[in-house]
Amino acid sequence: MNARYGMVIDLDRCTGCGACMVACAAENNVPPVTQASPRTGLTPMLVRRVSNRVEGGARREAFIPMTCMQCEHETPCVSVCPQQAVEVDDATGIVMQMPQRCLGCRYCMTACPYHARYFNWWDPVWPAGMEKSLNPGVAVRMRGVVEKCNLCHARLHSAKEKAAAAGKKEIDAADYIPACAEACPTGAIRFGNLADHDDPVAREARSPNAFRLLARLGTEPKVYYKSTEAWVRSLAEPGESLNLHSEVKHG
Amino acid sequence: MKVTRRDLLKFGGAATAGLLVTPVPWKLLDDVSIWTQNWPWIPQPARGPVEVKQSFCTLCPHGCAMRVRMSAGWPVGVAGVSSNPISRGALCPLGFGAHQLNWHPQRLRALRRRGSSSSWEEARAAFAKACGEGPVVIVDGQPGRAASSLFATFAQKRAGSYRVVLSRETEALTPYEAWSGVPAFALGYDLENAQTIVSFGAPLLDGWAGPGRFARLWAERAAGVPDPQLRLIQVESLLSRTAARAWRWVPAQAGSEAALAAGLARVLLDEHLVAEREPAAPLILVEVAERTGLSMEAISDLARTMVARPPVVAIAADNNPAIAALNVLLGAVGARGGIVKKSKRADRYVPAEAEINSARAVLIDSTVPWDFAPHTSAEVFRFAAWDGGSSPGSQADWLLPAPGFLEELTDVPAAPGSAMETYGVAPGLAKAPPGVESAAQFLGSIDPALMTVEKTIHSRCDDLFHGRAGTLCGQQSIPVAKLASAQQVEEQLWKGAVWVDDSQHGNDFRCELQEWPVTVRSAQAVQWPQPWPAPVLPPLASKLYQESGLRETAEGRNA
Repeated sequence: MNARYGMVIDLDRCTGCGACMVACAAENNVPPVTQASPRTGLTPMLVRRVSNRVEGGARREAFIPMTCMQCEHETPCVSVCPQQAVEVDDATGIVMQMPQRCLGCRYCMTACPYHARYFNWWDPVWPAGMEKSLNPGVAVRMRGVVEKCNLCHARLHSAKEKAAAAGKKEIDAADYIPACAEACPTGAIRFGNLADHDDPVAREARSPNAFRLLARLGTEPKVYYKSTEAWVRSLAEPGESLNLHSEVKHG
Repeated sequence: MKVTRRDLLKFGGAATAGLLVTPVPWKLLDDVSIWTQNWPWIPQPARGPVEVKQSFCTLCPHGCAMRVRMSAGWPVGVAGVSSNPISRGALCPLGFGAHQLNWHPQRLRALRRRGSSSSWEEARAAFAKACGEGPVVIVDGQPGRAASSLFATFAQKRAGSYRVVLSRETEALTPYEAWSGVPAFALGYDLENAQTIVSFGAPLLDGWAGPGRFARLWAERAAGVPDPQLRLIQVESLLSRTAARAWRWVPAQAGSEAALAAGLARVLLDEHLVAEREPAAPLILVEVAERTGLSMEAISDLARTMVARPPVVAIAADNNPAIAALNVLLGAVGARGGIVKKSKRADRYVPAEAEINSARAVLIDSTVPWDFAPHTSAEVFRFAAWDGGSSPGSQADWLLPAPGFLEELTDVPAAPGSAMETYGVAPGLAKAPPGVESAAQFLGSIDPALMTVEKTIHSRCDDLFHGRAGTLCGQQSIPVAKLASAQQVEEQLWKGAVWVDDSQHGNDFRCELQEWPVTVRSAQAVQWPQPWPAPVLPPLASKLYQESGLRETAEGRNA
């Protein structure tokens, strides 16, 4: 049976530390661009702060790690790409981005309802010598292409290689975990196979407190969120827009 | 056959049209675009065998265990180690990008003497001369290491002194040291057994006592539960990240923590909520309400909530004695779930003061945070891996390039605030650039009789083996008593295991307090980022600071 990899992000546990963002960037050889702004930075995983819009002692805040939602149905970026640079992998459900095919037209960025795609505005440059610290499993992407989270696909390749070397056809679930889920100090980001009914992550996705962002669009995202707080869940309801901090809105 | 101009035009048109239906032009277009996007200066990851090694993060005193992925001999990625009982698999966001720090543009690669270039020979001669002319003060930022004992020995032999810069967690324990005589470094917070934690501005969910220890505990026992097993109450003027995720946020005015502690003590005594009768707080509730900006009912309710689910412990962000006195009143000192004694052996250290008089030279180790810059007339020799830029620490007479992240062998003593005595060894995994020397190597070159770091670690492993106590926690937990030799202990530690002292020391620790301490605090909110030992941030921290807005100063927040 084909896998459907996805995540459940427990917002009650997210402290907004940002470890997932840095771990993601380090894993995927994202260059440290000193001139980047919230609009131009490359952040395949971006933690946003949201509030209940109340001032004073009753104010509440939460943190929402935002990444590619890995839309399963009528994936907007796939539909609009003129270059077929985006596709949904049948075997895993991962929405794949192929930078070699990308023209850099940014149509997919416009189409993505979650603003989860980023344009590579600059040549990937590291301070002298720092290229020795790059992850050898991930190629450096060129300027002028769109990037996004691919659920650390290089780690999936490594897990497959390990399984093949051991003469197995299926990977061991413990061998494939994206960098953000591995880095989360509170275990807020959980990764698993949603197609496996007994997978703990699939079970959590069925929890009454689980929800998906902009579910009304019918794109069937494979990233679920969980919160026991009604005001947090209400942010994903139709008609509501995410109450994002003004500094972290992406265009 | 005569070829006319018309024929040529027809042929050209047909060839052009035909070419368009072949892949050639499109392939050429694609290749040109790829060629123009892949300039030779775009780096490619180095190829080589990939291996995973174990070590510890040495950027701050918490010493989180790390799994370091190495490729072609260089660290290319780090991750936490879940078997470590303190860090529990967690690293802070700065740690995840720390392997890039060694190539930071601000890396200090050459000696500087008052802004001019110099040499190690000159530095050695100047320091040796200073040692001969007067006392030397050596300042350490991570006491308890093998290098620390080397510093202390050197200072002692030269009639100098050894000083330490305390971490926030240890600083908050100094009132107990004054009242009980037990060194602050031998004390810790037994958070694992507490049921109610009242934090007076301490960033518990923001790296306090290490990024993993409390965060994991909170996630397991408190997150998302309306009536959690672990109640975290955050007293803070700002809605910090800890306050945002706490079970209850008490927005008291900045600088009023001591007054609030006194007010809580008053309610606890008046309503007979605690067994202790002393010390009595001098403030009355109306005054407390005025200073804190909270209502009297809110303060009374907070006091009742605190004791509703014991054990309870109050945690200060600094060395606030009023909050320590509140713990004495709550019976949290020397008790399960409170402030406990973790070791019998910890040394008593003298904190480094902002002013250092009557010294001929001051040597500052690279583990000392850059915001520590003593006022002194002595010649200051400062070791650093990175240039401090405009920070006051950069004004030292000598700036001496030190090994960077994972570039030297060191040992890792217990984390500040930890309730357990631990010991680990962090091998140097990365190659240090030429012309770099640690403070321990520098002192060793001046006094060859000093024991090296490696030999001190070896000797400490020997002590651990002959102590026959504790457990080595690595891939498997192995009691030291089951090991056959000191060499086996050392081997396990070099492989990434951590020694944990599992014996209990907490019951023989009491504080005698005759009167409520008077505390005067300035009204200043504690801001992120907290002081951090490295003067520079890993380049990828731009994700936190400029691209996400997650780390910002207090001015931008709604209180």
